Amino acid sequence: MRALAAPTFRQSLAGFVVLAQKTAQTKLTYRLATLITLLSSGFAYCVFLLVWREVYRHDPHAGPLSREQMMAYLVMAFLVNSALIMNVETRFLQRVRMGLVTGDLLRPLSFVFFQMAQATGDVLVNALFAVPIYAAGLVFAGSALFPASLLAAVLGALSLVLAFFIAFSVSYLLVQASFVLQSGYGIFFARAALHQVFSGLTAPLVMFPQSLRRVAEWLPFRCEIETPVRLWLGHAELGDAPRLLAEQAAWGVGLFVTGELVFRAVMRHHQVQGG
Amino acid sequence: MDTAILAESLGKTYTRRKRADGFWAGLRAYFSFESETVAAVSDLSFRIERGESVGLIGENGAGKSTTVKMLTGILVPTHGRVETLGVVPARERRKLAQSMGVVFGQKPQILWDIPARESFRLLKVMYAVPDDVFRFTYHEAVERLELGDFLDTPVRLLSLGQRMRCDLAASLLHAPAVAFLDEPTIGLDVLVKERVREHLIEMRRRFGTTIVLTTHDLKDITATCERLLVLDRGRLLYDGSREGFEQRFAVGRTLVVALEHEADAPTRRALEAELSSEEVTFVWDTPHRLRVECARSASAPRVTASVLEHLRVADLSVQGAELDAIVTRLYRSGKAAAE
Repeated sequence: MRALAAPTFRQSLAGFVVLAQKTAQTKLTYRLATLITLLSSGFAYCVFLLVWREVYRHDPHAGPLSREQMMAYLVMAFLVNSALIMNVETRFLQRVRMGLVTGDLLRPLSFVFFQMAQATGDVLVNALFAVPIYAAGLVFAGSALFPASLLAAVLGALSLVLAFFIAFSVSYLLVQASFVLQSGYGIFFARAALHQVFSGLTAPLVMFPQSLRRVAEWLPFRCEIETPVRLWLGHAELGDAPRLLAEQAAWGVGLFVTGELVFRAVMRHHQVQGG
Repeated sequence: MDTAILAESLGKTYTRRKRADGFWAGLRAYFSFESETVAAVSDLSFRIERGESVGLIGENGAGKSTTVKMLTGILVPTHGRVETLGVVPARERRKLAQSMGVVFGQKPQILWDIPARESFRLLKVMYAVPDDVFRFTYHEAVERLELGDFLDTPVRLLSLGQRMRCDLAASLLHAPAVAFLDEPTIGLDVLVKERVREHLIEMRRRFGTTIVLTTHDLKDITATCERLLVLDRGRLLYDGSREGFEQRFAVGRTLVVALEHEADAPTRRALEAELSSEEVTFVWDTPHRLRVECARSASAPRVTASVLEHLRVADLSVQGAELDAIVTRLYRSGKAAAE
């Protein structure tokens, strides 16, 4: 019998790209739903920015950042957060509950890259919406929203790619829980809460109490939002950039490898729901 | 001949939490960690040669889908050994996926929100299907399964039958060496079922595809499979040719007779006396409907001739020699034995 050959790297890459494209296409199908989500979260964030603006109007030294720096930080944090919203957990949870995950397991693309390709498709669409968010952000932050320098822009963009890798790896690790628990909603809500608090989405971590900052340092979430924002806006020293990027890469690789190891262990015991 | 699939003492057990009916029982179970082990498949051994077409049948819960999932690498067996196309499926799932097509009738495999044509293009790239192979498999599927009218409609807007046809087409686009089809004709009308069977036969003829077909519609099996694996509560009840199965398990036939006029008592007695030497039982469902249950030893032509001679027959049919009648009887006897 002819020996089976594993799919080549080129084939896998082509599969990855086309799956990402189709996922983006799928996401664009629900344009009204996407628009409503974007507008409602945008509105909430505008209110949030207005509150901070009011705080700074009363006290220009309310925090370690100037009013412009603070506004720029918050707009960029919202933008990065919106760009990195992937439906990995919701998509996966639904597929596990209905037993549809069997289809994903039977493709010549490895399971993790199958999920990552879909996450990439989500992020591609988010990137399209990031442009108007950035333009709207100029109203609040003005030129402080521009990258501090060309190098800062490059470092910020690189950091954003690593942030995607971390965000995906966290999601991938957590979705393994769906295989075990059959419903992973509890874990996903816990992740969302931790992300909200410790990523620096609501405020730069430098404004947090010392004890919470220490907790944040031991978690990967700040690498998803605060690090790329600080690098882009030049809030971090350039000399710190290699350390910050290395830290992101370490979290990304660590979580990715852990996710793969857990996946292999889980596959030995999982059950397929729905017959 | 090459072995396509090998299973040796294959088994799969599940552990599940014990649950009870009702709110209070549910509440108690919430705080309980009591569990039970259920054997879905036990000690299954068989070998399928390359190019064979095998029907995997059994009652609901017999372990068919679990077996298919172990053969495809989705589930890891609890014990035993399994090889598909020479590899251990769960260990080399990606490699195997390249040469394997799978349909789970109740689980759509193609993308839900985009038209099937786009999913087919995606699969062509993902499986690196050569152009000439894709040309054939794509056109064969579109023509044979009549997909043309809805290829550009998002899959979520298709009917069950249309989606099933798309799923089947998608699973065979890369001309896999082995195809696992778990209820591929579920929800299809008789004409479409016929088309699906023709498609399977054509794909097998052209590419020598090994087919493992799980179905509750035994006409699928009759049309496409020459070998049967019959599962009963996770165990292999029969492994052999379809004809062998029919010979081994067919207990007889039933002559169903509809009468033009009610038969009077002397006529009935005369008929029964004439056939007293045959191993037959007369069951009068109504005065106008008679069933003559013939044992395997009884001569059907002789019984039929006697019935036609004595009674004014409006209609007559012979039942029970078909595969589904035999299987139905087998399931019933299995259930009775279990009870």
